[in-house]
Amino acid sequence: MSTAPSMAVLAEAADWLVCLQSGEASAQARADFERWRTASPQHAAAWQRAEAVLGDFASLPAETTRRTLSRLDAPRRRQALRVLGLMLAAAPAGWLAWRQAPLWTADLRTATGEQSTLDLADGTRLVLDTASAVKLRLAGATRQVHLLAGSILVSTGRQSLDVTTQHGAMRALDSRFAVRLLDAASRLSVFDGAVAITRAHAGGMYTAQAGEELEFTQDAIASPRPLGASLALWDKGMLVAKNMRLDTLLAELGRYRHGIVRCDPAIASLRVSGAFPVHDFARSLVLLRQTLPVQTSSVGPYWITIERAL
Amino acid sequence: MSAAAPLPQSIATLYSDHHGWLQGWLRRKLGDASQAADLAHDTYVRLLQSRRSAAIGEQPRAFLTHIAKGLLVDHWHRQEVERAYLDTIALLPEALAPSPETRLMVLETLVRIDAMLCSLPEQTREIFLMAQLDELTYQQIAERQQLSLATIKRHMRKGFLACLAAA
Repeated sequence: MSTAPSMAVLAEAADWLVCLQSGEASAQARADFERWRTASPQHAAAWQRAEAVLGDFASLPAETTRRTLSRLDAPRRRQALRVLGLMLAAAPAGWLAWRQAPLWTADLRTATGEQSTLDLADGTRLVLDTASAVKLRLAGATRQVHLLAGSILVSTGRQSLDVTTQHGAMRALDSRFAVRLLDAASRLSVFDGAVAITRAHAGGMYTAQAGEELEFTQDAIASPRPLGASLALWDKGMLVAKNMRLDTLLAELGRYRHGIVRCDPAIASLRVSGAFPVHDFARSLVLLRQTLPVQTSSVGPYWITIERAL
Repeated sequence: MSAAAPLPQSIATLYSDHHGWLQGWLRRKLGDASQAADLAHDTYVRLLQSRRSAAIGEQPRAFLTHIAKGLLVDHWHRQEVERAYLDTIALLPEALAPSPETRLMVLETLVRIDAMLCSLPEQTREIFLMAQLDELTYQQIAERQQLSLATIKRHMRKGFLACLAAA
């Protein structure tokens, strides 16, 4: 507090934030940043503010924040336009763009690191994992859940339920299964019962049985493989890895937190087994350091690097 | 701020002479007696913290209303954010409604963030929020906005600087 940073130092901090957030920062740049941050109390104070700002954004539920800010905006914008003597015309393009973004229409959504459970009257339970979104259509003959992002765990109750993604539809009765949207496919993991898949375009069908896991796209259903123990316990807050690549594990754990985790390619293929708490990344890092020849270094809480221990 | 520290004489006088008047002034602005009492109290706390009691000078009421006006603006801003936030979460399915503790935390943060962002032009704000809230990469934002990566970075830098200056 005694070393309030000057605007010049704050501007430098803003440059570093952009550099680090852009994902373009080289090892050299990060070393330069570390030198900058520790160069003076003013620099350290400026970076503390930067972390507070990032922390503020990271702690907010994105959807609710967006909606709240747009509500706040509406009267202010009208007022500004009135001052300019203009009629209230179209909202700026950017604003419309995000309003129309697909996620906007989600009925349920979780923020990064958040999980949420929805119980329906017939005993059906939906659990949304981190950074997930679904649209629900629960009235009518067939109840439908459309997965827009992330993953859901479904335990069906007395009525059947259709789960759809952009890649196809699944019908389930009396089963427990998870659906996850990957970059170019959907993944179905069936824990109990059976789930029938229909692809979106081609008419193929496959009924996945308990203990099977498979990916499907609009055009193809891949052959099923035995369900890995991995990931099956995320609704209990645990990620169970069985002989998993370190970079895969870090990517999975990274889905539950904001910020960047960089894994040194030299150790990316190390194999890891164990149970990791998804909501306590620091604890997971401790577990990794205890079991693998790795060390971790962090640039503030948001940028973490994992390397081979010296 | 230890409670044992004696109140500076000038503040004690300022309190006994003007507290009732300040509270009345605030009540007329707010239309609510208990909020007025809170803000009057906060005004004196702010005064004690600022250690500027020496600067009060000849016009103590002008000085008090100067501080109180700042608090009023904050108060109205907070109310405005709170209303928008409550309207927003009122639309959530019951299962997703945040707990009272979460509400309070989110509201505090929203007030801070809205204050940080209000000075930014609409376009900068939108681009900045796409990165900070929607977690899009700079490249994805550049594509959606049909702008160059360098332009996106310029907006981002402006956004961060506004936040850092207000933090």
